Amino acid sequence: MPTRIIIDTDPGVDDALAFLLALASPEIQLEALTTTQGNVTLETATRNALAVLELANAAHIPVTAGSVLPLVQPLRASAYVHGVSGIGNSKLPPAKNKPREGHAVDYLIQRVLAEPGELSIFPIGPLTNIAMAIRKEPKFAKSVKELVIMGGAIHESGNVTPLAEFNIWVDPHAAHIVFHSGIPITLIPLDVTHKCLLKQEHIDRLMKINSPISRFIKDAIEVYFKFSYERGFAGCALHDPLTLATIIAPELLTLKEYFVDVDHSGGPAMGKTFADVFNVTKKPANMKVAMEVRGEQFIELFLQRTEELARKIKE
Amino acid sequence: MSTSPHPSPLPKGEGTDVPKRILIDTDPGIDDSLAILLALASPEISLEGLSVVHGNCSLEQATTNALSILELANASGMPVAVGCELPLVQPSLLAPETHGNTGLGYAKLPTPRIKPTRQHGCDFLIERIMSEPGEFSLVAIGPLTNVALAIRQEPRIVKSLKELIVMGGAIRYEGNTTALAEFNTYADPHAAHIVYHAGIPTTLVPLDVTYQCVLTQGDVERLLQIESPLTRFIADATRFYMEFHDEFQGVQGCVINDPLALALTFAPELCDYQELPVDVDISGGISLGKTIGDFYNYNKKPANMKVALGVRPRDFIELFLERMEKLASEIR
Repeated sequence: MPTRIIIDTDPGVDDALAFLLALASPEIQLEALTTTQGNVTLETATRNALAVLELANAAHIPVTAGSVLPLVQPLRASAYVHGVSGIGNSKLPPAKNKPREGHAVDYLIQRVLAEPGELSIFPIGPLTNIAMAIRKEPKFAKSVKELVIMGGAIHESGNVTPLAEFNIWVDPHAAHIVFHSGIPITLIPLDVTHKCLLKQEHIDRLMKINSPISRFIKDAIEVYFKFSYERGFAGCALHDPLTLATIIAPELLTLKEYFVDVDHSGGPAMGKTFADVFNVTKKPANMKVAMEVRGEQFIELFLQRTEELARKIKE
Repeated sequence: MSTSPHPSPLPKGEGTDVPKRILIDTDPGIDDSLAILLALASPEISLEGLSVVHGNCSLEQATTNALSILELANASGMPVAVGCELPLVQPSLLAPETHGNTGLGYAKLPTPRIKPTRQHGCDFLIERIMSEPGEFSLVAIGPLTNVALAIRQEPRIVKSLKELIVMGGAIRYEGNTTALAEFNTYADPHAAHIVYHAGIPTTLVPLDVTYQCVLTQGDVERLLQIESPLTRFIADATRFYMEFHDEFQGVQGCVINDPLALALTFAPELCDYQELPVDVDISGGISLGKTIGDFYNYNKKPANMKVALGVRPRDFIELFLERMEKLASEIR
């Protein structure tokens, strides 16, 4: 039985790549997307989500729009990483489909409560929608099977402040709510995603397949390459797709159980995720954290899956 | 100080104007209950629903209390929508020492027969406000969790609310929960932050004015001259509240915060106001939940609300007593 998931997302170049990997993976049944502000505004995120699904012949997957703003912090967006459009220089045709009526928070509550213990949620953007669902419906936390969150930086440097990772920094209050909700969580922090680098040679390999999928990936990732090179990386980190390794290749990840908290006090550590590695607080672990990854093997898996998808989807 | 004109006569309650349409977000709570009763007793306004939030007591208890109060006042047709059980980020904080274990002091009301609506408190607020933009005044007299979540879920309510009156904060006055912070704001400072900066036309009713409005034992005895379940309720609920005020704050009588906020919907002349930039501390230090009025505009920010800083307390208490007497005489 494939694992049934909903992705909560702010696409976002690597978000889009995560949808493609999910659609290309028989171990996964992608049942819905919910969108949030983050890499881009909510409107752009929703448009991109619909457009990427249509590109991959997956327009049947419902998309529901969620939070316009983080809970307490002002709106951020990261055009320097993802391009103004959120998906780099790619020019997808405008989506024909519309998002569902209603709010993502209510959609998540409704789906999860309808089948308690069945659905895993993969939040790969700021955690605003998930936090609101937890506070709005107290039964939500007990009914979600699992959250696999792309976010945080434990030992690794932050990618938006010296300490903080973008998704958590955008809405640290939401992260605080989610981390302490009691939902089983696996965290995929920069510590591992920075070891999964998609390089130019990989794009060249994908481009041997003549498909809108390979062209989309090439165009989408150009801006992201430029940003990554400026930061001294040899390629683009596949942050969001790596969350799916928990289903399709869990053996590539080393998970540690930690008590993890997030700073929301508004000082220089705002948005920092810290793991109590030595358990000095004597608090029980609240999540599993991916601390090591076999990055090259993950990249190879990602390429094989997207190649398969690209072969299926021709003009 | 930009004050309203000198004390104008109190409204007679017989005006020909269409009543002002009100929603109350509440955590009843003794003074919340008195505010609900004042709303029902005031012909200038039309109370169209309650949303309930955690605060003075648990969400479940607050809901039961809201329903019981409505039944007591023969207003059981009023919709009550259950909202948020927990503050956004902070752990739950309830106030049994102030309001008693049931939230209503020594009062014992029958178990309500009516049930809350199935709609969530946030959705109720959103639906009512969006169905008739510009119509509703929202009086928020508990922690601001429901209002904040509603704003984040449906940002258009910000432009669609006519006004928001918030009982909360302590600007120059000491806190009633920490040395600096007032209870409603301290119970969910992050929600207060969201609401204060949302852009809704807001009036803040802080402890600076509510602590001038003390209901005394003499006032309660005056009410008890009318034989009614309503006056007995007020006497039993406020007796506990008065013991708390005496023991913890050296106040003889009890401070009726929430009814003052409610009264300002139809009798704004009871207070003097100043437009101020107001913020709330959410940094988690010893000032957590402190509401800050930037009187000298150090931060060069525009005013985001009107703050009640002066009050004519006996005018207000007299108004409250007259309204309660009238309502009590109808409920025997």
